[in-house]
Amino acid sequence: MELSEQKTPQCTIIGIEGRLDTTNYNILEKKLMELIDARNDRILVECSKMDYVSSSGLRILLMALKKVTLSKGKFVLCGLQENIREIFEISGFTNIFEIYPGREEALKVF
Amino acid sequence: MRLKFPKFLRCWGLAFRYSLFFLSAIVIIFLIAFFYSYVYSIKLLVEGAKKDADILTRETIVRFENTLQPVELIPQTLVNSLENPNVSYNDVIRIARDFVLRNEVVFGSALAFEPYVFDKDLYWYAPYTFETKNRTIQKNLGNPSYDYFSKDWYRLPKLLGKPVWSEPYFDKGGGDTLMCTYSVPIYRPGADSKTRFVGVLTMDISLEAFQKMVDGIKVYKSGYGFLISHEGAILTFPKPGFVNKNILELAEKGKGEETISAVRAMMDGQSGFTSMDGLDAKRNASFICYAPVSSTGWSFGVLFPAEELLGDLIQFLKDLLWIFAISILALLITTVLITRRLTKPISRLVEATRKIGQGDFNATLPVRRSRDEIAQLTKAFSVMQDELRNYIQNLQETTSAKEKIESELNVAHSIQMGMLPRGFSTPANWDLFATVDPAKAVGGDLYDFFYLDPDHLCIAIGDVAGKGVPASLFMMVTRTLLRAKLIANKPIHEVMQSINQELSLDNPNQMFVTFFAGIVNLKEGSMEFCNAGHNYPYIISSDGEVRQLKVRNGLPLGIFDTGSYSSGTFHFQPREILVLSTDGITEALNQSNDFFGEAQLAESLAALADKSSKELTETLIYQLKRFSTGTEQADDITILALQYKDQTVSNPDAMETMELTLLNQLTELDKLVTELEKLAGSWNLPDKTVMELNLVLEELFTNIVFYAFDDKKEEHPIRLTFTLSASRQLIIRLSDDGKPFNLLEAKVRDEFDKPLEERHIGGLGIHFVREMMDQVEYQRIEGQNIVTLYKNL
Repeated sequence: MELSEQKTPQCTIIGIEGRLDTTNYNILEKKLMELIDARNDRILVECSKMDYVSSSGLRILLMALKKVTLSKGKFVLCGLQENIREIFEISGFTNIFEIYPGREEALKVF
Repeated sequence: MRLKFPKFLRCWGLAFRYSLFFLSAIVIIFLIAFFYSYVYSIKLLVEGAKKDADILTRETIVRFENTLQPVELIPQTLVNSLENPNVSYNDVIRIARDFVLRNEVVFGSALAFEPYVFDKDLYWYAPYTFETKNRTIQKNLGNPSYDYFSKDWYRLPKLLGKPVWSEPYFDKGGGDTLMCTYSVPIYRPGADSKTRFVGVLTMDISLEAFQKMVDGIKVYKSGYGFLISHEGAILTFPKPGFVNKNILELAEKGKGEETISAVRAMMDGQSGFTSMDGLDAKRNASFICYAPVSSTGWSFGVLFPAEELLGDLIQFLKDLLWIFAISILALLITTVLITRRLTKPISRLVEATRKIGQGDFNATLPVRRSRDEIAQLTKAFSVMQDELRNYIQNLQETTSAKEKIESELNVAHSIQMGMLPRGFSTPANWDLFATVDPAKAVGGDLYDFFYLDPDHLCIAIGDVAGKGVPASLFMMVTRTLLRAKLIANKPIHEVMQSINQELSLDNPNQMFVTFFAGIVNLKEGSMEFCNAGHNYPYIISSDGEVRQLKVRNGLPLGIFDTGSYSSGTFHFQPREILVLSTDGITEALNQSNDFFGEAQLAESLAALADKSSKELTETLIYQLKRFSTGTEQADDITILALQYKDQTVSNPDAMETMELTLLNQLTELDKLVTELEKLAGSWNLPDKTVMELNLVLEELFTNIVFYAFDDKKEEHPIRLTFTLSASRQLIIRLSDDGKPFNLLEAKVRDEFDKPLEERHIGGLGIHFVREMMDQVEYQRIEGQNIVTLYKNL
């Protein structure tokens, strides 16, 4: 899994590429927690290149969402692949997360 | 005798109630005594008064007689003296005049002659001497205006020829005063020697004199004497107005019957003592004592008010009543105080007893130094308190011991139930279910099943003779022996023989167990079995035909240590169900004491041919419960059902298999991913399935890595077997030798459609497993967790 980070005036965009699983979820966890703790709590996670996410990865996304919601920031996902979207649905995450098909639509909400 | 108090008194204290009760008794006794003494005192008083009045009356009458005697005697003597021819009328007149002068009572005296007797010329001649204001006056009564011949005092003695006392009269023209006259007729021989009536000699007495005599009589305060004439005319009376009135008229006018008859008796000249009304205006109750004055025919009475006779007595009795009332009040107060003092220890005792009753066995009882009944009662209570304390202590100990036993029994029950295997996981072509419904908390039935190896399943059922803890212990021993003795490749009858020997060896209670055990070859669909005296198993074929496996291979276990056992073999036909049961089913009773019976069981089973083992077992139990509604379950009920579905999976030719062994390290996850990708390619699995397999296997694998082993450093193999059946069912078997973990029993929060605030971080993995796979099974076989996943492609 590769992480990319891009700062815009409105928010921070985190891009996930490859598999997010038990072996590497802690990298994402560290990145997101660092951002939130530094009050960069307006985050867009770009998932178009993420082709697998296990329950460990989902756990990190849920944790981040809870934390950001507490600090009244914004945590938005975009570009979920079809398979990933199904996993989100089974988890009930589609009801909790703000998910947009593309990056442009997502950026408008910030 | 039981004292019954009126209701309103029952709420008062004992002291007051008893005081009142006994004081009432005292009051009643006093009132009786009082009434008696009242009546008796009156009687005594009246008798005394009667005696006194009698004496007084008689004395007075004697005085009257003494006074009247000369008044009668002198004229009689003078008249008698006239029989002597030498005595002249003038002599008589002179002597009579002297007598009038000397006698205080005599007021006047007259010698009245018949016409022309004294003097041939005189028609009326009646020389009369009388006293008035200390002067003596003489006059001749006879004149045309005072014709004495018609007066009673003259007429009556002449008529009767004997001396006569006249009624009182006011002599107008005579003495001019109220008087009575005593007249004596005078007879003298005339010239022809014939005795003729010539006149009367009279003595007038003034009633004033008698009035004076009677006035001196005083009885009590206002009692008085009075004198009446024969005709009832009142001669003397304390009130002047009454004199010369008729007493009978007086009595008849407004007085009582008693008074009238008393007056009549007086007038008749009787003597007596009686009660009557007062004679004056007041009608107060009085007593009268009367007697006749015999010479004149008068009657003298002494009359006095009863009130004055009884006045003192009544006053005395009134005082007595007051004194008594005050005494009773004082007595009541004293008694209440004393009784309260006496009952105070009882009240204290009651208080202490109430405390004891509330469970305070250390409550202090009041101390009594005396040796009265209350002290004895207190002592008895003290003894009772001690006894009670000891008893309760014993009871508590016993109860806690009993509770301990009961809780231990409960523990035994849960151990027993816990020992029975519940994970009914079998290969997909087999269906196993079993249940025990114990009659008492701890029963003597057992079932068991376990894998000897993945292809060999041992099933067993047994029924220990008896129930309760001993049966349960025996059952556990049997089960333990079965598990210990049963090793792969050892014939079942040898195992049974060995168990029998062990059980028979030390069996002081001569317990035994009917036992059926079979080893099912899951691959081949056959069973090697040994029936040690147990009920015949039932076999339900797919078409609903029910038959029994009527084979006995020896006696129940535990009877003879030398008992020998044989074995039999049974081959399952597809969709046949083997049902093992205990006699708790056939011997279940309904309210009319009918057995459920084998025929009914067979009928029920036939109808359940198409059901799963679980449904079959539960339906049967339900039918039994309905059958025996209202009766107590007499025996344990145990059912084990095993169905052989088909041979699809057990046919190895139809399958493709891939095996993979990973170590318990996270880094091995990459290997899993790589292998899965390879498999997906070669078996042509859809992308979605691959993703799901990835998710599920990662979950299960990381679970094992994180939680299955305490010693994280040591290496443990995690084996995966992938099988693809001909019907394109993917079967993945995952085994590890870590701590037992049945993911089917893991609790997953039902929160997947809840908002963010209610979501917990975690718990997703198992949810994925359940959601994404078509079937999940768990078994624990020989220290291995075996999870089998089924995914239809």
